[in-house]
Amino acid sequence: MTKCPACLVGFSVADFPSLAQHLVERADDSDPDHVRWLNQNLTRKKSDASALIPGLEQVFSLGTGSLARWVKVRFIAKFFGKTPHPFVEALQHPSRATLLGYVFEHQHFLRQWVRSCAFIMARTDRPEVVQYELDNLTTEYGGYGPDRPSHYELLLRMGESLGVDRSTVLATPPLESTRRSIEQWNEMATGERWVSVLTAMHGLELIAHRNLTEEGASVHYFDPAILSGSEITPAAQAFLREGYEADVGHSDEALALADRFANELSVVEEVQSVFLRSIDLFDDYLIGRLERAGQFG
Amino acid sequence: MKRNYDGCAICNSTWGNVWAEVEGERMFFCCDLCVVQFRALIDRIERETGWNRVDSIEVAGDRRGRTCRVSSSGESARFRFAFTPEGQLLRFAREESRAP
Repeated sequence: MTKCPACLVGFSVADFPSLAQHLVERADDSDPDHVRWLNQNLTRKKSDASALIPGLEQVFSLGTGSLARWVKVRFIAKFFGKTPHPFVEALQHPSRATLLGYVFEHQHFLRQWVRSCAFIMARTDRPEVVQYELDNLTTEYGGYGPDRPSHYELLLRMGESLGVDRSTVLATPPLESTRRSIEQWNEMATGERWVSVLTAMHGLELIAHRNLTEEGASVHYFDPAILSGSEITPAAQAFLREGYEADVGHSDEALALADRFANELSVVEEVQSVFLRSIDLFDDYLIGRLERAGQFG
Repeated sequence: MKRNYDGCAICNSTWGNVWAEVEGERMFFCCDLCVVQFRALIDRIERETGWNRVDSIEVAGDRRGRTCRVSSSGESARFRFAFTPEGQLLRFAREESRAP
């Protein structure tokens, strides 16, 4: 199945004419998600559906590469291109406000993360996927005991090191952009195939993948120099270091599983569409972190 | 209001079909979100400059960050700005005028 990357409605495999017609019709209705997708991925110029087909074929083409490579290329283009995402720019040498924006919004992201990964586990029949998710959830949320706290715990400690009590963080509802993204990730987790959700969620861990500059990224997620010295608090260093060290393995391993099972189940195009939707949601969510940062100066 | 874009007043897209009134003029937008953005932008420019109306606006850039050159009754100013996903201003700052 091919899915619309703006709303995930389905079409037959490689039925780009129908997908193009759908995009044109929804854009004619001035739907912001469809207009946005067309503007950012194909053209800003209103066209006939037939004129969009070559562009759609190009977007979905794996060329001679793998699905994993395609995911990385799309992710790099969106977040680490010539003009990196504004949150990535802010995190190079982050202010206290930027880090607090991270803390307040990311606690909600991580709580949804657990739900999304749990749906993958509940639906897959592949033991290696279950094992991968168990390891990931323990690192991200459960922790390995007092010596190796979870990423979630490290996030809250980062907030405390910046002068904000965890009870304040936990009691603060998400901003609208975070709330909307989380709501749609939840719908994705409950409604899409497990291999699509695996790709859509774990593909996002590429954000902290420290080797992406070797694959075309213009910058790292943050300047690695901030992990030493006193530019940020030790708790902030511990939080960022955890992602920096874990997310190479998390994302590469997940993308290898995605590649294998999307091909085995013959659902590559479907997985691609769900991933494209997820990175648009992630883009908005990262802006939400900046919006929250604006409340701290 | 004189604009440099033929399409949507914010992003120049010609998709969509939203017509909305801004400062007494009916303008084309690709979606409702761009209407919210444009109104927020014009409101902020007028607050920042003290102008009663904006006579012309030239927008450049993309969703990662835009600039505009605005004028009113012989005065002009430049601003940098970006929006939240809900269309409110995330960043807004005056830029020093530069020679073309």
